[in-house]
Amino acid sequence: MGITSEQHSSASSIDSSSDPCAAAATSSSSFCPPIQGNNSARIDLSTDLRLGLSISSSYYNDLFPTPTTTTRVQPLSWPPIRSILRSAHLDKALDHKQSSLFIKIYMEGIPIGRKLNLFAQDGYDSLITTIAHMFPTTILCPGADRVHSDKYHVLTYEDKEGDWMMVGDVPWEMFLNNVKRLKITRADRC
Amino acid sequence: MMNYFPDEVLEHVFDFVTSHRDRNAVSLVCKLWYRVERFSRQRVFIGNCYAISPERLIARFPGVKALTLKGKPHFADFNLVPQDWGGYVQPWIEALARSRIGLEELRLKRMVVSDESLDVLSRSFTNFKSLVLVSCEGFTTDGLAAIAANCWFLRELDLQENEIEEKKNDWLGCFPDSCTSLVSLNFACLKEVNLAALERLVARNPNLKSLKLNGAVTLEALQRILMRAPQLVDLGTGSFVLDRDPNDSETYKKLRATILQCRSIRNLSGFLKVTPRCLPAIYPICLNLTYLNLSYAAGIHGSELIKLIRLCGKLQRLWILDCIEDKGLEVVASTCKDLQELRVFPSDPFGAGHTAVTETGLVAISSGCPKLNSLLYLCQQMTNAALIAVAKNCPNFIRFRLCIRDPAKPDPVTMQPLDEGFGAIVQSSKRLRRLSLSGLLTDRVLLYIGKYAEQLEMLSIAFAGESDKGMLYVLNGCKKLRKLEIRDSPFGDMALLRDVGKYETMRSLWMSSCDVTLGGCKTLAKKMPRLNVEIINENDQIKFAHEDSQKVEKMYLYRTLVWPRDDAPEFVWTLEKLLFTPGVLLEDQWSSLTN
Repeated sequence: MGITSEQHSSASSIDSSSDPCAAAATSSSSFCPPIQGNNSARIDLSTDLRLGLSISSSYYNDLFPTPTTTTRVQPLSWPPIRSILRSAHLDKALDHKQSSLFIKIYMEGIPIGRKLNLFAQDGYDSLITTIAHMFPTTILCPGADRVHSDKYHVLTYEDKEGDWMMVGDVPWEMFLNNVKRLKITRADRC
Repeated sequence: MMNYFPDEVLEHVFDFVTSHRDRNAVSLVCKLWYRVERFSRQRVFIGNCYAISPERLIARFPGVKALTLKGKPHFADFNLVPQDWGGYVQPWIEALARSRIGLEELRLKRMVVSDESLDVLSRSFTNFKSLVLVSCEGFTTDGLAAIAANCWFLRELDLQENEIEEKKNDWLGCFPDSCTSLVSLNFACLKEVNLAALERLVARNPNLKSLKLNGAVTLEALQRILMRAPQLVDLGTGSFVLDRDPNDSETYKKLRATILQCRSIRNLSGFLKVTPRCLPAIYPICLNLTYLNLSYAAGIHGSELIKLIRLCGKLQRLWILDCIEDKGLEVVASTCKDLQELRVFPSDPFGAGHTAVTETGLVAISSGCPKLNSLLYLCQQMTNAALIAVAKNCPNFIRFRLCIRDPAKPDPVTMQPLDEGFGAIVQSSKRLRRLSLSGLLTDRVLLYIGKYAEQLEMLSIAFAGESDKGMLYVLNGCKKLRKLEIRDSPFGDMALLRDVGKYETMRSLWMSSCDVTLGGCKTLAKKMPRLNVEIINENDQIKFAHEDSQKVEKMYLYRTLVWPRDDAPEFVWTLEKLLFTPGVLLEDQWSSLTN
């Protein structure tokens, strides 16, 4: 059952020429940044590392495919060190010491909002699942056929420029960099 | 004979019995002792906040002054427990506030604390003295402001590794001018602070012994603060950065002089950001240090780090990053002869590169530091030969936690599992209480643990074992086991259900990514009225409820008298019972539940 060091380094090396899109795709995010050339690929990888998301779960997946269980891999649960220590060192290069990103989320028609930690989600799927537990509605997945109805809701966000956008169009990491808050809007308003 | 003594004498005798376990034992001797002990108990420890209700606590111990509560399971530290699982302190604080309890100290670990809880806490107990929050979340600096403003006799505010939302308020400035009783202040986990308010606070609190600053405290500010507090015993620096040559800096010269006046510092931590050339300023402190924590000091490595270590001859506890490398650990081994505790953390948790420490460093430590009794070691690899040598050199381990970066990695020299190595550790350290395993491991290591680890109380298993027999060796053998946490190991219903009574002798069992099924968990829940069996099911598996053969992703069970808990979120399923009698509280259950 030993894992050789070659497999180890190719799975997780930042500087390898391995396809970062493949790395991102093995996480639950289904949005892959288009490869525009080496430079942007590196930037995507360093963003991944900084946010500790896609790379860690792909590292884990390649390293230890679980034979006995068919469950979703938990990101950031190995090696077993605390989040705060983990993020303190992940971010040291970029001086960006955040281990959590709590943003406000409101649902149309409900005056009291909730708070949600985006860094605890590992992609859009996880985000929708978490939100579905917090609010009493069905959220249409981004990319699904738009249904103009007041029974369904869609997820929108306010970006750094103050514009309200539909969630799901841009890669997850880019979304994390830009989102200020979330709103669950009626589907027939979009 | 003791029955002829008045209660006051008994009480006086019991005053010398301080450990909560001993006091629990005392209370079981007879009804008289139970009564006297109950009214005189001041310090209560509750290891699982869901084991008992606040009302019962208050009813039994009306004199409680100091309370410790723990919430989430340990694996929550590694993101295995979803947000909103629970562990809310609010009901406890509300119940205590409503009662006549004169609470003075509160210590919380892995709990969800709200600003409202802190506000109620701050206004309900006039003699409140000490608040310690470890790995908690859910509050903001508004809550801290309430504590600062309203707890007039506060001695201790210790915030360790919490997730705190920082508002634009000046919470530190809320300490009134009349606050002069502070002994311990730790806000290292925050990002900002009002420096002027901090300096004034330190100046008017001459009893301050422990001060842990955050990254917003500059070198200049540190110098001014240390001028006011030369009596400090425990110091956590903030940002130890200078933007110019230290030889050209007045600030640096002043700092060096000031530090020479701080003759009492025995514990040093911080260095969240550091300019290595400034380190000579702390060399005088190193000579007397007994505890050095550089686990956040990524900026100190190489020869600077070695120079520092060489001065710390009296060190007993060292927390360090793996950039120290095996060579650096050899220096530790030759310098720190009194070392009892070592923790080595990864400086690059997800990096592609090598982890810089291996079995070589650990063996060196064990041969240079025979007093070593507590170890946390995250490394690249480990061999059986090394572990056997370590076991021989250090037979006094109380805590032994080894984490090899690649899960299930064998001994790289022999390609064998690490069963023999860990077996040697448990056989030689007869007082071992806590153990974490890693590397390639079969059922054999669990057999050794069941056979030899007689004092073991907490065991963490990850990616280990081959069959149900493995888990059974542990459950049958370790009589003092209190907490068992297992992930990614092939143990299923047969092991889970073999000895259901065992779980009532333990605080909790966690199993994730194992082979236990929903049916197995349901059976357990039905049989055991005083266990709460929770299934944490984040994936929206709608069919899940109906398929007993479905494997359970995460199960957490714990003994309790309060079933079911009424604050469980939607994704936590508390499995049903056949028979539950919540009213029956046998006194001997208290000691088992709260340990």
